[in-house]
Amino acid sequence: MKRPVAVVGVGQTHHASRRADVNIAGLVREAVDCALLDAGLEHKDIDAVVIGKAPDMLEGVMQPEQFLVGALGAHMKPMLRVHTAGSVGASTALTAVTHIASGLYDRVLSVAFEKQSEGNVMWVTSPNLPFTPPLVAGAGGFFAPYCRAYIRKTNCPPHIGPVTAANARDNATRNEYAHLREPVTVEDVMNSPYLWEPIRYLETCPSSDGACALIVASEEVAKKGPRKPAWIKSGYSYAEAMWVPGRDQVSPLAGRICAKAVYDKAGITDPWKQIDTAEIYVPFAWFEAMWLENLGFCDVGEGWKIIDRGEQKFGAHLPINPSGGVLCTNPIGASGMLRLGEAALQVMGRADAHQVEGAKTALGHAYGGGAQYFAMWIVSSER
Amino acid sequence: MGNEPPQQGIKYIESTVHLPYDYVAGDYKARYLRALKDKKILGSKCSKTGKVFVPPIVNSPESFAPATEFVELPDRGVITTFCVVNIPVIGRNLEIPYVAASVALDGAAISIFAAIQECKLEDVRMGMRVEAVWKPDGERHGDYEDIQYFRPTGEPDAPQESYINRL
Amino acid sequence: MKNLRNVAVVGFAQQPVVSRDEHRTTHEMLYPTVRQALADCGVDRDAIEYQVAGSTDYMDGRPFGFVMALDVMGSWPPRQDLHLEMDAAFAAYYAWVRLQTGECDTAMVVGYGKTSEGDPNRILNLQLDPYYQAPIGLDPTSTAALQASAYMARTGITDSDLAAVAARNRAAGARNPDSQVREATTAAELQKTPWAVEPLRTGYLPPVGESATCLILAAEGKAEKMCDRPVWIHGVDHRAEMQTLGARDLSRSASTQLAAEKALAMAGMRRANEADVAELLTPTPSEELIVCEALGLAPLGLAPLGLAPEGSRPAINPSGGALCAHPIMMTGLIRLGEVFRQLSGRAGARAVPNARRGIAHVTQGHCLQHNMVWVLGSERRWS
Repeated sequence: MKRPVAVVGVGQTHHASRRADVNIAGLVREAVDCALLDAGLEHKDIDAVVIGKAPDMLEGVMQPEQFLVGALGAHMKPMLRVHTAGSVGASTALTAVTHIASGLYDRVLSVAFEKQSEGNVMWVTSPNLPFTPPLVAGAGGFFAPYCRAYIRKTNCPPHIGPVTAANARDNATRNEYAHLREPVTVEDVMNSPYLWEPIRYLETCPSSDGACALIVASEEVAKKGPRKPAWIKSGYSYAEAMWVPGRDQVSPLAGRICAKAVYDKAGITDPWKQIDTAEIYVPFAWFEAMWLENLGFCDVGEGWKIIDRGEQKFGAHLPINPSGGVLCTNPIGASGMLRLGEAALQVMGRADAHQVEGAKTALGHAYGGGAQYFAMWIVSSER
Repeated sequence: MGNEPPQQGIKYIESTVHLPYDYVAGDYKARYLRALKDKKILGSKCSKTGKVFVPPIVNSPESFAPATEFVELPDRGVITTFCVVNIPVIGRNLEIPYVAASVALDGAAISIFAAIQECKLEDVRMGMRVEAVWKPDGERHGDYEDIQYFRPTGEPDAPQESYINRL
Repeated sequence: MKNLRNVAVVGFAQQPVVSRDEHRTTHEMLYPTVRQALADCGVDRDAIEYQVAGSTDYMDGRPFGFVMALDVMGSWPPRQDLHLEMDAAFAAYYAWVRLQTGECDTAMVVGYGKTSEGDPNRILNLQLDPYYQAPIGLDPTSTAALQASAYMARTGITDSDLAAVAARNRAAGARNPDSQVREATTAAELQKTPWAVEPLRTGYLPPVGESATCLILAAEGKAEKMCDRPVWIHGVDHRAEMQTLGARDLSRSASTQLAAEKALAMAGMRRANEADVAELLTPTPSEELIVCEALGLAPLGLAPLGLAPEGSRPAINPSGGALCAHPIMMTGLIRLGEVFRQLSGRAGARAVPNARRGIAHVTQGHCLQHNMVWVLGSERRWS
């Protein structure tokens, strides 16, 4: 990047299965207003707006950012709309970062949201192409076979998914914004029905309404702000083709390359030691083990062992998803930005009850498509 | 309707989005679908690496070279991985639970997705050899329903190395 | 204005705009377009360091439609990537911003979408807010007609004037082999066409058409190796207005005016009519007049430059403009591509002699809601 960039404000909504108390503009404003307040800024201070969300069919609107210009405070400002499937919240934040890094903008508001209770989520997320037989309902139907492949390849024991899910729900009890905040036991998860075996109901993310807003700014602006900023040490987004023969669907190359780029730029040579906490995109519990490997926290085949040893729990060596993560809150468009925003909150020391003590370096990660899109950043409390 | 003001503010607007689309299948897909009527499964071959893609696509995403040559593939292959589905899918009449599998046809470099039937759920495994079950002669129309599902052939399982990279 | 990095358009390829390509899917139209653009630049895919796409799910007729484009864009090995749910010209803008950071020296921008598969008049109704405006049933023709009425009321422009502007575009389109409509016609003939939505006649509206497009950008140092006559970006800016139709003066385009001010200032150009050529994304003659006025190409309310005799400068829409070819999600990118062709000597029979500076205008949303202005030139802007 041409010049340093920092996160100076973070805002999010209280996520729920249905936010019937607000319309789309109201939902977005809740997050935006929080972020501005957080940053000590007003709409007039913002140079540009970058907004992201997942398929517009989720709300039955097209390019809703067009009617949200007023609510976003974007009137007569540059505005871009990003859409990279599940990773969109993260790639939106990274797009805003690029604006600052370029030197062309000093304060950019990035927003990501989904009000998916207003549409038909199952229909939108089911793999469904013209001239192709429909086979499975829901995104889980696409990913479940690859979770099975992971389990088989690594001899992962059957309790790992349930342990991951129970742990995520435990984390969410410490996050006032999370959608699912009641804890579940490992037995509860084991006893919940399979949706697409090996993925169980309680190992699956909820469908949520929610929004997240981050304000990124130049060093000069960050230093003047009321809060200690989160410095963005690196951030990249990569994508790979789907039908590459022999494509590793369990540990996609785009994820590994993206992680390496992000680590190299941030000077991280040993992620397991140098990263204090990570918010990673786990919509189905088995992905936590898979991503721990894909992100280089351990060798291939060792990801589930981290979970087995409890080293990813809150208070342990590398707390994963202290916010509860996607398993507890999933407004599809916002989830990626929530990961990056939660990582920023951690190093800003502002994660309240789910603060990882002494967190100085954090990873935010998101993925999308048929595990083809990856967007991540490393944030630090140090400039 | 009357002259009284509404008692309550309007809270919800219900609106159905109804949009007709007329998709182009493209010559490649059209050719593939028509061949199903003759119980033929076609793939396209990368002009650079010779790898075969099914259904046929105009280029190899791996080499970026065109894939213009069509080849016929056998209607059998191996289950590389699968899941057991408990949620009904829109647009298809499959009794739940059913197996949705990734099937690598013999000679294909990538897999297709297919339903597996005519076997017990607990018997399905990665590496299982399967074959297509076609609609009877006279009932095939050259569309994707011409293949109803795949079923086990009874052959010995394929070794893991042969399919683990063709998920 | 500080020195920016000199970035040039070095290549542009498109499929001729046709009413419907019965033989190829949207992605199958894109593949040869990408190959052509790369071949024209004399590079292979690995020489491109960043890829950005512009398309929408609704125009693709499927959620996540853009994911399939990865396979025809050469996304292997995994590439740094982004997708915007916008006209591809905005993707080009973001690519330019990214090039300014120095993170990459080359970028590929693609725009695609088979407009014939859906009914744009129905689909684009969904761009309007779902609470007040969409339920009225407004479609883009009606909203354009509203705007045309407002403009005619303020300026006294008549149906004959609209016909004359349309006829000029039609004459130009006849010289453009990539245009969909390629027969010249007279204003009188156009005035005989029936009202689509008064005051817009069917002869003042583009037909539904589709294409695929690819534009290559490169920074100084690389650009010269990829193109014999790179076309340098001198200035660019974009601005979004509030959507609410009743809340703004539809007879003017304030965002075009502001974007032009900023872009011209960046370019060190005092007035837009110093340009030799201007490609405007104005599908109807009324929009063309409004944009000309906002750009400062025509005195307010007086005889617009659009009516000026052939040979005046800048030449407006020598390609035939969006009236003759409007594939929707890439019409903006084509404006950039056309200016590139004009300034790099690739415009064939429609070439504007000695064209050394050009303006490309892009719009999105109902009634010219969001506008972008590019200024390009044959010489580098900054030394």
